[in-house]
Amino acid sequence: MTVSSNTRSRRKNLLLDMMLFVICVLLLLPLLLLIANGFKTPQEILVWPPTILPKDPTLENFQRVFSETPLFRWIFNSLSFALLSMIAIVITSTLAGYVVAKFQFWTINVIFTLFLATAIIPFEVYMIPLYFQVKALGALNSIGGLLIGYLVMSFGIFLIRQNVIATVPDELIEAARIDGAGEFWIFWHIVVPLLKGPIAALSVLAFFQAWTTFAWPIVVLTRKTAFTIEVGLANFQSAYTVDLALLSAASAAVMVPSVLVFVLLRRSFVEGIAASGMKE
Amino acid sequence: MSSVEIRNLRKSFGPTEVLHGVSFTIPDGAFVALVGPSGCGKSTILRLLAGLEEVSAGELLIDDRVINDVEAKNRDIAMVFQNYALYPHMTVAENMGFSLRLMKRSKTDIRAAVKNVAEVLGIGELLDRLPKQLSGGQRQRVAMGRAIVRQPKVFLFDEPLSNLDAKLRVQMRAELKALHSRLQTTTIYVTHDQIEAMTMADIVVVMRDGLIEQIGRPLDLYDDPKNSFVAGFIGSPAMNFLPVTTEAGSATFSFGDGQSLSLAKFKHLQGEFLIGIRPEHFQQQKTRNGLSVTIESIEQTGAETLLQCQSGDQKVVIVLHDRFAASPGEEYRFGFELADLHLFEAESGKAISR
Repeated sequence: MTVSSNTRSRRKNLLLDMMLFVICVLLLLPLLLLIANGFKTPQEILVWPPTILPKDPTLENFQRVFSETPLFRWIFNSLSFALLSMIAIVITSTLAGYVVAKFQFWTINVIFTLFLATAIIPFEVYMIPLYFQVKALGALNSIGGLLIGYLVMSFGIFLIRQNVIATVPDELIEAARIDGAGEFWIFWHIVVPLLKGPIAALSVLAFFQAWTTFAWPIVVLTRKTAFTIEVGLANFQSAYTVDLALLSAASAAVMVPSVLVFVLLRRSFVEGIAASGMKE
Repeated sequence: MSSVEIRNLRKSFGPTEVLHGVSFTIPDGAFVALVGPSGCGKSTILRLLAGLEEVSAGELLIDDRVINDVEAKNRDIAMVFQNYALYPHMTVAENMGFSLRLMKRSKTDIRAAVKNVAEVLGIGELLDRLPKQLSGGQRQRVAMGRAIVRQPKVFLFDEPLSNLDAKLRVQMRAELKALHSRLQTTTIYVTHDQIEAMTMADIVVVMRDGLIEQIGRPLDLYDDPKNSFVAGFIGSPAMNFLPVTTEAGSATFSFGDGQSLSLAKFKHLQGEFLIGIRPEHFQQQKTRNGLSVTIESIEQTGAETLLQCQSGDQKVVIVLHDRFAASPGEEYRFGFELADLHLFEAESGKAISR
């Protein structure tokens, strides 16, 4: 490589780094402001231009959030809902994704098309009929009621199907059948271990889908102790006022579990998405 | 050891029938190779035997017991796949012991059986490795080990050497043959490589378009092919076919370019025929019978000389086991013995008995 091409590529890299840095700052700034606001007094929050570092940091907002609202209960509700929904989606997606990928009958293809078709109908369209069903079941204000809308994810089935097609050759399944394995045994001992990456990616997606959902919980949950975080946070905003300091402190506090989940599953998430062939 | 019998086997995929009634018997402990071009149905027979496909019509028998409706796992058959089909997340030992684990054998038993087979195959030091850490040849041995460890009644091999390089293929061929002599387990081996079939099998089944063209011992197929397809498929380079015509009672068979051959034995024949001569049956020495050709190219491999020639409008390949000095464009007459000639009906390809 010549000197000039070396310099050119270094300059190009520097430019790229600078661009990425700017994008990174733009993405992080609102989060930093939110966390900082949690430690500011109500007066300082309204100061213009806004300060990034609080001049007079206080923990009062956090103390008030934890004493005046059942925030821990809401976190617990959200966690239970998100974890159970994640488990259900992983189970239904892996089973269905594997079946539609490896058992080629025309009926199964029709079912798969129907799975995909559900993805184009927004949840809000069938939310109200679903609400009446949940009400009829007596499951309002419960995790069970919340879960009814979040047990299956059509994208999850698609993701697993694509990964099964790409990473599990037919011969592997046939070899196991000849070796004496039953169908569920093959699924559990051969297919699932080969899908660790996509399952982790799907887990993250499913967890955050439930963790951040708002419309369905606000329909199903009316009792304050049954709220999820999203619904609880919305409660800080009344018809005429928003308690910004309290809202910021609560938001900052509830970010902790979601960030933790992402950090723990980050590598698998990236691998899973990359291996799914969706990158192209 | 077990015998395998296939009776009038048919298989259709939707409206397409790929096997049109195939029958043959494999005696106890025999090594049978199924050969034929792609799409001839040889792998389908293997998959039907393994229980991976359902039989459309006919019967499959192992030890005189019909197994058409027996599940794959209960057929006591082991199969080695072309791409090895090793479980990527399991170690070599786990891969090899997989079937024994499913049989609920004790861990000590499994370990001992795996170790024993691994020693035989020379992969004893690889037991703790994952398949991705192995070379092609090692993976092939592991796949074989997985089949051997369960001591099945029948081994099925589906083109197991086709992913290996030429040198390793020759080595593995010999190893497989030695292993069969040692285990004496009935083996059915699918390949499109006729050299593999000829060198390894006791019996070769040549197939085309879902039908059996000929069954026999390798040299019988080479010496007495039943038709021009088998004659052309068995042997490498392939047999030369030269169209000839003859009149009844004349015994003179004329090539298109004015050359002719006198075959007194066939003087009763009349019409169009194909004369088959294997490339290695030509000789430099002058004989009573021969063929004049124009040499187009010469390939010297040291051990033999391969000549690409032209006779009239026909291509002729000649293999000589001696060095040969000539230049492209030269005309030369090569001899052959009448006993080495094959005669086929031009239209049907059927061999005329010599």
